[in-house]
Amino acid sequence: MSEKLELSGEQTHQEGQINQDELILQQQRQIQQEISESTPLVGELELISSLNAEYSNDEIYMQKVKDLASKYKFIRRTRPDGNCFFRGFSYGYIEKLLSNKNEFKTFYTLAENSKSSLVELGFPQFTVEDFYDTFMEVLKRISDMPTLEDAKRELHQLFNEQGYSDYMVVYLRLLTSGQLQREKDFYSCFIEGNRTVIDFCHQEVEPMYKESDHIHIMAACSAMNTGVRVVYMDRGNSKQVTEHDLPEGSTPYVHLLYRPGHYDILYPN
Amino acid sequence: MDNLQSKYNLKSPGVKRLMREAMELAEPTEEYHACPLEDNLFEWHFTVRGPPGTEFDGGLYHGRILLPTQYPMQPPNIILLTPNGRFEVNKKICLSISGYHPESWQPSWSIRTALLALIAFMPTPAAGTVGSLDYTPDERKTLARKSKNFVCHVCGSVTDKLAENKGHRLGGNTLTAEESTLLKQISLKGEEDNSRLQEKREEAAPTELVAESRPVDSEECVETVVRERLVHEENAVEEPLIDNHDSLLQVSIQRSNRDRVWSAVIWAIISMITLLVIRRFFFL
Repeated sequence: MSEKLELSGEQTHQEGQINQDELILQQQRQIQQEISESTPLVGELELISSLNAEYSNDEIYMQKVKDLASKYKFIRRTRPDGNCFFRGFSYGYIEKLLSNKNEFKTFYTLAENSKSSLVELGFPQFTVEDFYDTFMEVLKRISDMPTLEDAKRELHQLFNEQGYSDYMVVYLRLLTSGQLQREKDFYSCFIEGNRTVIDFCHQEVEPMYKESDHIHIMAACSAMNTGVRVVYMDRGNSKQVTEHDLPEGSTPYVHLLYRPGHYDILYPN
Repeated sequence: MDNLQSKYNLKSPGVKRLMREAMELAEPTEEYHACPLEDNLFEWHFTVRGPPGTEFDGGLYHGRILLPTQYPMQPPNIILLTPNGRFEVNKKICLSISGYHPESWQPSWSIRTALLALIAFMPTPAAGTVGSLDYTPDERKTLARKSKNFVCHVCGSVTDKLAENKGHRLGGNTLTAEESTLLKQISLKGEEDNSRLQEKREEAAPTELVAESRPVDSEECVETVVRERLVHEENAVEEPLIDNHDSLLQVSIQRSNRDRVWSAVIWAIISMITLLVIRRFFFL
């Protein structure tokens, strides 16, 4: 009997710990849900000055918003769910491509050929095909639109439909992972901790809702054969925002605003 | 499937994906089979064969797969219904990368991955993780033997669910090198959440039916009733256990449930006594 009591005591102790974890998880889930209910996946164009409302009492930030406004006209906010880089980047890139038929075509061909190289790298064909099909469907539906305006509207609508939008994110994550694995010798020096490139891909790139770092951006850009300018805005002392072009030396095609933990899309003057 | 096709929005990528998976898995293999319920694309039932050369050899394990509305962005939950000695029954378990966060599920995994991972993960040590059981090999062998008698209230007997066993190792020729590497990285863990009790209550009704619909002459039948009651009703413990030759099995079945039930009963008795004592002192 005493043994039994001891056992159950231990069990309660364990359950106490688990409940703590569970509470934290539950709170996280609740926060995530609140976020998703309050922000669209990809928002409408807003003036840069709309940022002022967020920092009305913060001199450092106000100064930087002013600097940002001298270079950029609009901002398009994305939902802060950990996918914001991938969602914002693919939206911004496709939107930009729409204004140039030839570049769009080149990208379309690149996308068309991307599946086989992923399968060659060992990604499961069955599911890669699933994401690929939807990715291509979205590109096709957008390019089939008669006018640029219609195409932009279609793009915006599809990127705000959870199903399609998330599928775009997944496929871009897979392309990024593929790029990292293809050039693993190069990327391995950027990975912190004792992890291989493949571990890193499985843990930080392929799962949804995992936030993106420099290395994700570099690989995603290489995979799509383009460049991104990331404009950093934090509480650092300088009066100006800092700009980074990734991969280094590339011509920026998409502009993203980075505030710690989050990316939004920027539109130059 | 036709029924399902008319019910769901086929344009939704998630629905399309599940339809594709249902088609891919329609033909039973030697190791696994899974299909959606007739009226619900987001709940599947599966049967897996215990991995050969382990204490689960010869066992057939049946269970449910619950798919979140966000699937494949979020992982499926697996619930085993057949007592197996490795995972608790009627409890959600889900996949993640070993030793890593539970949210490391990848959308490029599928229900097939989940089933293969389940089979591959069965012989690994329980090591005290949530939802795991650490029964002895003998207990597991006994459960494996009995597993063939399991009857699901939806799917019926499990004995004809899989393709004939030709004694191949897991995956046979169909498992690619990448998949085998992948399977080594996946771990399954129980989900500890508040919906667990609810889940059990939800289970209670159908499982009673299982017991009733089974042949009465079988000793198994009585056992199932006892087993289910132990899981679902606390007061079941006060009933004398039906005389059974297989005491080992009895012990193993009760092990995971009895401690909790006992402590609840003890606390109830102690508080009753305290109440009575207090009443005697103050009111009489």
